[in-house]
Amino acid sequence: MWTTQRFPAIWLLPALLPVALMTIYPIAYALWTSMHSVLLLFPDTPFTGIDNYVRVVKSGYFLDALYNSLLFTAIAAPLVVVFGTLTALFLQRRFFGSRIVRSIVLLPWVLPGAISAVLWIWVFHPSFGVLNGTLRALGAIDGSIPWLTSPKLALISVVVAHIWTQIPFAVVLIMAALSAINSETLEAAAIDCRSPVRRFRYVIFPEIKPMFVVLLIYNALAAFTTYDLVYAMTGGGPGTATTLLSFQIWKESFSMYDFGTGSAVAFIVVAISAVMILAITRALPSDLFEGD
Amino acid sequence: MPGRRNPLLTFLFAALILLFTGGPVALALYGSLVPDRILLDPNRSVLSEGPSLESYRYIFTGELPASYRQASANRAMISDAARQVPHSLVNSSIIALSAMLLNMLLGAPAAFIYARHAFPGKKLSFMFLILSPLVPAIALVTPIYMMLEGLGLTGTRIGIILVHTAKALPFTVLILSVFFRKIPQELFEAAVLDHCSRLQAFLRVALPLALPSIGATGLFAFMLSYSEFMFSMVLSGDAATRPVSVVMAALARNTDVSWSLLNTAIFIAIVPTLVLVVLVWRFVVEGLLNGSVKG
Repeated sequence: MWTTQRFPAIWLLPALLPVALMTIYPIAYALWTSMHSVLLLFPDTPFTGIDNYVRVVKSGYFLDALYNSLLFTAIAAPLVVVFGTLTALFLQRRFFGSRIVRSIVLLPWVLPGAISAVLWIWVFHPSFGVLNGTLRALGAIDGSIPWLTSPKLALISVVVAHIWTQIPFAVVLIMAALSAINSETLEAAAIDCRSPVRRFRYVIFPEIKPMFVVLLIYNALAAFTTYDLVYAMTGGGPGTATTLLSFQIWKESFSMYDFGTGSAVAFIVVAISAVMILAITRALPSDLFEGD
Repeated sequence: MPGRRNPLLTFLFAALILLFTGGPVALALYGSLVPDRILLDPNRSVLSEGPSLESYRYIFTGELPASYRQASANRAMISDAARQVPHSLVNSSIIALSAMLLNMLLGAPAAFIYARHAFPGKKLSFMFLILSPLVPAIALVTPIYMMLEGLGLTGTRIGIILVHTAKALPFTVLILSVFFRKIPQELFEAAVLDHCSRLQAFLRVALPLALPSIGATGLFAFMLSYSEFMFSMVLSGDAATRPVSVVMAALARNTDVSWSLLNTAIFIAIVPTLVLVVLVWRFVVEGLLNGSVKG
């Protein structure tokens, strides 16, 4: 570890400047918007303080949307990381066709949310869907299961589709972290520790923990702010069963043209995300955020 | 990985992973080869009719499928947007490759400094990087659009590249700094003893050791850019600059468009990226797994 007295600007500014350009002014602008009444039809933008925030919190959708978003995040983010880790551990093995499987796993990565939604609608569609078709062919069901139109099943369906879109990134990162483990550590562990579960618990997991935490944070954010996949699959329905808080930002801004309220929802999402990040880093302490 | 292996269990796991990740894409391939009238008819299947390439022919040559040339055919099921797919792939490749290169170039030095140096303002600037992606992009679309319009960058690829680069950079720096931390401290101490400057330590020690990881991180930036929709849509102009995600979304939201055409477009959009992913995976991740980078 080197210590420098000066801020190493030449090294950092290439990365910091573009990020600053795309965040500081836009965020300040959005914050300003959230405290003014900015409606498309009215040229005046009077200062309204926290009125927009109050309106959002008191609105009919807020509690439902917040509950759905938290539930969605609490189910989807850990599942992505756990499935991603299991898949990565499995794909480290060499077996016949392992290269093909490793490539196929990355497929979902390239598709934008709206397109992934099309593929998954085809899986879950009540009459033409592959899932119902397969179940019917196997004789497991007679009619059709309403995957996207029954409240509980709709949430499960969109969670499955969301996990599908996020798995490849998790697999790549965990595999990269796994391969960075010192091979001597692994050899020693193989001798000392017979049980693969214990070996993972005491040797491998501590090594990949920082990456694990990064992934969990990334996925919590991704799940909490996603909206396009869910919107394209269910439109937020049935009823409000899959209405997510992040979707309301879009709805208020670009469907109601009430940009002030839309920005207010956005900053409520930001506040909750910040709390989530803090909770994850507290629950899983790692040296990631230490200044050492 | 040492340990006993049960071939049957291995096969089962592999099949499950393939079914889940590849299944929906295989459906798109199937759908692209089968005209709608067969797809939605439970009594006919591809087995009795044989695959048809008419949707592919339409996208690349503009020749209408025979079934749509009949007088009573529903012409709304054919959309011009499908014909933009090949060119939009070129656009997307240019944008995503630029974002990927910029991310590796701009992100690696910063990640190295964060992983290996103590300096005033470290925590503050790192926190800024980590927290900057927190604000949902949809709330920032309007101000970023206005800003780039002031710079004359709307309707160009450069504007999109700039936004995508900035969007991926925080993650690039975060992930790369995790990798740079993994490089054993002794190597850098040896470098200092050999009178290596900070730049030399970075170029001669850190970069070669972390190259596969930098590649993997670049891949992440590529994917983020390739699949990003909102900014691509707002900032792209006419068909000449439109990336593939925008064209595909236009197709997907058009409820009249034929399933077969939509699936063909989806599949064509997947293929080039799949090739790239396999290549990068071969060189980067296989290299990692074969132990070229070990402490």
